Amino acid sequence: MTGININKNSVILAVLVVLLLLLPMAVTKPYYLHVIIICLLWAYLASSWNIIGGFAGQLSLGHGIYTAIGAYITVILFNTFGLSPWLGLFVGGGAAILLSLVIGYPTFGLRGAYYALATVAISEGIVVLLNNTGSIGRFTVGGAEGLIVKMVGNSAVAFQFNSKIPYYYIVLIMVFLIIFVAKWLKESKLGYYLVALREDEDAAAAMGINVRRNKLIAGAISAFFTALGGVFYAMLIRYLEPNAIAGAGMSTQMVFLAIVGGSGTVLGPVIGGILLALISEIIRFYLGGQLMGLHLFIYGMIVLLMIIYQPRGIIELFEKIGQRFSRKHNDEGGRSGAEDPSGA
Amino acid sequence: MGFLSVVANGLSMGAIYGLIALGLTLIFGIMKIINFAQGALLMLSMMISYWLWAATGLSPYILIIIVAPIMFVVGYLCERVLIKPVLDEQKDVREPVSVLLLTAALAIVLENLALMVFGADYVMAKTSFSDVTIAFGPVMVSAARFYGLMIALVVAGLFYLFLMYSQTGRNLRATGQDRNAASLMGIDITKTYAIAFGIGTALLAVAAVALIPFYYVHPSVGQVFMTKAFIVVVLGGLGSVPGALLGGIIIGLIESIAAQYMTATLTVILVYAVFLLVLFVKPSGIFGSPYEW
Repeated sequence: MTGININKNSVILAVLVVLLLLLPMAVTKPYYLHVIIICLLWAYLASSWNIIGGFAGQLSLGHGIYTAIGAYITVILFNTFGLSPWLGLFVGGGAAILLSLVIGYPTFGLRGAYYALATVAISEGIVVLLNNTGSIGRFTVGGAEGLIVKMVGNSAVAFQFNSKIPYYYIVLIMVFLIIFVAKWLKESKLGYYLVALREDEDAAAAMGINVRRNKLIAGAISAFFTALGGVFYAMLIRYLEPNAIAGAGMSTQMVFLAIVGGSGTVLGPVIGGILLALISEIIRFYLGGQLMGLHLFIYGMIVLLMIIYQPRGIIELFEKIGQRFSRKHNDEGGRSGAEDPSGA
Repeated sequence: MGFLSVVANGLSMGAIYGLIALGLTLIFGIMKIINFAQGALLMLSMMISYWLWAATGLSPYILIIIVAPIMFVVGYLCERVLIKPVLDEQKDVREPVSVLLLTAALAIVLENLALMVFGADYVMAKTSFSDVTIAFGPVMVSAARFYGLMIALVVAGLFYLFLMYSQTGRNLRATGQDRNAASLMGIDITKTYAIAFGIGTALLAVAAVALIPFYYVHPSVGQVFMTKAFIVVVLGGLGSVPGALLGGIIIGLIESIAAQYMTATLTVILVYAVFLLVLFVKPSGIFGSPYEW
């Protein structure tokens, strides 16, 4: 990369960051800001899934259990002991890591399809458990009625704000964090191990890579960040309902967004998450009240067509545009065609 | 209800689970695709069967000869129109993840289409034998479930014979074992894939017809069977035909026997617990090879 190219990219990046930071000033209606927050949360969750699903190629279809375990443990600790969610999220995240290891140990020994099916069954089982557990000892879990976060008013320590703006900045930081983590991971030794075992497990093992261990590490990282997303969701919505936070909808949505955006890339899931969640919200807004099932039907069709016509993800479209842009730039001088094709 | 009657009921439900899982395992065994639309396609078969039954008044079982070909065509076209283009794009990828997502999106489309067209009502084909119970000595079993068991066993047997001894069956198995070698032997892989998907879907039509006299149909009915079919194929061994049937019967028996001693919720959890136990002890399932996938 030449100096010109870096400058151009960093200028674009800086403009983007400033625009994002100033966004709440332009968007004054809480509903619109809420939609933006939800889109960013989905971008974050899709990126968290991408660590195990995209980089390591292990198709987890039950990531809802990690959002659930993070959210439930944080909220239960807060409701029972008044423990600040900022501390509770580490307990929730730690529990998610533990859970991912327990599930991953037997299943990662097997190839992709098995892992996918196992994650579906395990997550469905956990949804049933959550729906039927009213309380464990003195801890209220809520069962099918759901669990309400105890309200304490506007309090930063309790992760409760009357305005949507703090939530916006928190989720924005989370998205930047996960992009940073993904970028770091992709360029780290672990990232290369993961790509190797994704492409050919036997060859990777023959090269001396401990396949199961690296899958477990990637799974644990992914579970931890997914759990943080669950905590944010809990504090934003302030109500946990087992089917919403742990159900198949949550789990498959993450996968949809990541794959439609471009799995295995750093920015693909972010782009996919924002765009698709936005489309979904718009369709729901305009068509939700009409014919039953119509908005989900259209949503399903959009995903279907995107997978057929853009199987490598939306990120590929962005890259093509980017390449054309830099090629034009090329004629004016400066070798800038060597952009990272993975979209990092 | 006597213990034997409980076993008989469990067997009948289990055989139908097996039939649903059979389609799933066939499609996986040959195309290496987990078909997430399996549940939605079952729902579609049940809807079609129900409306044909309501329109014609024929015995639901006779409808197999209409519904199975319809579903075969639906499956065949799904493969040709939707799956094949994506599969071609991902030829070099061993596990086509996009295709899996495609089937999941198809499930969303089908379920919501059904919701739009048929509404969210629960319907069931109330036939003359829906409330009849047959007694074999001390064993009492509902007629609809008994017929369902018979149909499931006969169809599974016929399917096994077809797979083992017909030319198409050999093509299917050869393609499942080694796609490239099969192609070199002159087998049309494209056609074989479409046939596999078609047959996998047609098997659902049989399960649907067996189910409608005693099971309610609604747009999300497929989800109930979907998760069970997943558990069944993992239990039996992914890609294994006898495993699917046996796994189905095991789950059916656990459900019906456990329901005698515990609440419905605990029964569901027990099924998942057994599943997890198998996963830990023998992850490749009863008939699965640990080296295959």
